[in-house]
Amino acid sequence: MRVQHRVLRAAREFLDGEGFTELLPPVIGPVTDPGVRGGKQLDVDYYGHRYKLMTSGILYKQASLVGFEKLFYIAPNVRAEPPATMSTGRHLAEFHQIDVEIAGASRTEACGVAERLLVHVVGRVLETAADELTALGRDPIVFTELLSEPFDVITHREAVDRLHRLQYPQSADAEIEWEGEELLSHKASRPFFITDYPKGSRGFYDRESRTEPGVLRNFDLIALGGYGELVSGSERESDYATIIARMRETGENPAKYKWYLDMVRDGIPASAGFGMGLERLTRFLTGLDSVWQVNAYPKVPGLVSP
Amino acid sequence: MTGIVAPGFPEEAVRARARNGAAEVFPAEADYGRYAYGATGSEPGDLLDEARLVPPLFVPRRLEKLIELGREPTYTDVSLAVEIGGFHSALPVYLSAFGSTQLGTLGVAAAAQAARLGIPMVIGENVVPVNGYGRGSDMDTVESALLTRVRTYLEHAEHDLGGVVVQQSTEDADAEVWNLVYSDPAVEPLLASGRLGFELKVGQGAKPGLGGMTVLDRATAARLDDQYAVSDVFGADSPHRLRSSSPGTFTDEILRQQIRLMRNNFPRARVWVKLYPGRDVADAVRVAWAAGADAVTVDGAEGGTGWAPTAFLDQVGLPLGECLRRIGAAEHCLLASGRIWEGARAVKCLALGARAVGLGRAALVATDTDPEHGLVRLVDALAMEARLLVSALGKYSTGALGAEDVWFPSTPTEPKPGNQFREYSCPQ
Repeated sequence: MRVQHRVLRAAREFLDGEGFTELLPPVIGPVTDPGVRGGKQLDVDYYGHRYKLMTSGILYKQASLVGFEKLFYIAPNVRAEPPATMSTGRHLAEFHQIDVEIAGASRTEACGVAERLLVHVVGRVLETAADELTALGRDPIVFTELLSEPFDVITHREAVDRLHRLQYPQSADAEIEWEGEELLSHKASRPFFITDYPKGSRGFYDRESRTEPGVLRNFDLIALGGYGELVSGSERESDYATIIARMRETGENPAKYKWYLDMVRDGIPASAGFGMGLERLTRFLTGLDSVWQVNAYPKVPGLVSP
Repeated sequence: MTGIVAPGFPEEAVRARARNGAAEVFPAEADYGRYAYGATGSEPGDLLDEARLVPPLFVPRRLEKLIELGREPTYTDVSLAVEIGGFHSALPVYLSAFGSTQLGTLGVAAAAQAARLGIPMVIGENVVPVNGYGRGSDMDTVESALLTRVRTYLEHAEHDLGGVVVQQSTEDADAEVWNLVYSDPAVEPLLASGRLGFELKVGQGAKPGLGGMTVLDRATAARLDDQYAVSDVFGADSPHRLRSSSPGTFTDEILRQQIRLMRNNFPRARVWVKLYPGRDVADAVRVAWAAGADAVTVDGAEGGTGWAPTAFLDQVGLPLGECLRRIGAAEHCLLASGRIWEGARAVKCLALGARAVGLGRAALVATDTDPEHGLVRLVDALAMEARLLVSALGKYSTGALGAEDVWFPSTPTEPKPGNQFREYSCPQ
């Protein structure tokens, strides 16, 4: 908890310094982010209407860009992940994200913010929580390359090729599987970005490349040491007709996104952004076995707990 | 019996099989030696009914089987076990979706029998939005229709055979049926044994180009009013209202991406796609296969339904036989449904490229006739006929069937030149 407190302080310090405004995210709404694999949305009976607990703040981040060009939430999110994720060490049904959005930004700019944010947070935690890390047996030497060298960037295609060379049967047109991601993470000595995920692996709001159809302008940031994905982000789609077509491609019924689509039709800024998993980041810093160990009231998928 | 009627469908013949099983494949025992039997009339314009299965005189595959067995093979040597859309099935048959209309005890009774038969079962797309899921806010009420069927299937499945496939269509995305099912601990035994599938319902044979339609009482209609188009087609005084779903908008890219997303989001489930008999069905089937669908079902215009406008029932959509001819040789798993209840129509479909056939109305009528054994007996009879027919074609597995086994009277035959079977001619 003390390390997490330092993480939050450092994240706010960094983002504030870069001109971001912290906003408070809604907890419920008529729709939420559908772009999660296998995770169920939880319903709330809201005066007779079926509302959702937020699986992510993406739709509201896009809406808020109308007033704030650089914004972030420290957002609580709820996803009833499949019980199969219970043993990944990286999934909680209730978790938090440092959720960042930047109007007019490209993927490169968003990746830059994510990289600098991670480096800043790691540096600050090493300065301010050294005793806690020592008590947990975490050797700061593992962060040396992270702090001193730029992160590598590989495409999804290259990640798939690497996994195939490691005899891992990863599909070329799907999300990198948990085990595959962990495998790549173990092989790395510093964090790296995976870009260009294929369409069909992410939500409708990740923008499709104009020059390479079928490829999304998105990215994940993968930690070293088997800790896997820390960040997921993308350039966002902001064109009304394209969003409608993409909603159909992702099996969504556009009618239920009325408030969002009305706003998009009126015009929202193009943007790029990302969400950094707070519990995952804290686990990475502390070197603990599982994300549930860094949450005071952990909700492990499939386990009923307070 | 619950009073189900199936106009235009050979209901009495299905009920007889549901009562008497494979005995109904043959004329009545008592009539033996007394009756002279010949062809009976069939539906005009049904390409599959018009077509005939045409056994050859020379049967090299029977020779292969003879060599393998060391004795003359018979129909009992025909293997009907087959892989259907990623599941091991005892027979080239699966249970089509009934949907929300004909629920109650029949869906559950049919689930138990499908499990005993070792064949896959599809659960209809609007079961959850109309009947509820039985979790969450209504946790204290009775178990949902969907979960009851899953539990019943699991209880009666004796081997690692068959599987359960849950449909979802465009508007059901609101109910998140697949997410609900995928993360439900009750479904874990199916996932663990690789026996859960999801079916993307693009449409159905009885109403090509329209979405689902059901007749609801006013109270249910009011509850679903904000989710579906509900209208007063029966008049303001009627106790019933009509619920209509959108058919959903599809382009080749939308279909491709929806299938990829299913594979991405539910990696432990099989992916099935159900198509209506559109004129471009051959293109759609291949888009679905290329995107990674484990099975594509083509529901012919003869397919049954709970409710549809009569114009669509009689005058819209390609018949199943024409769909199969347009699709041609199937590179991956193709499934066919539409007025199938007996072995000959089933074997014609298999010869024209289908891996398995779906029983919809036939299963419903059979289960209605005898909830304990009706479906099992009906399928036993179908399997008996299929074995007789496949062996007559000189083949011993359904995968060996081909278009050469079917003759369409409307397609003129080119006279074959000379002695094309020289290799079998007697020595001089």
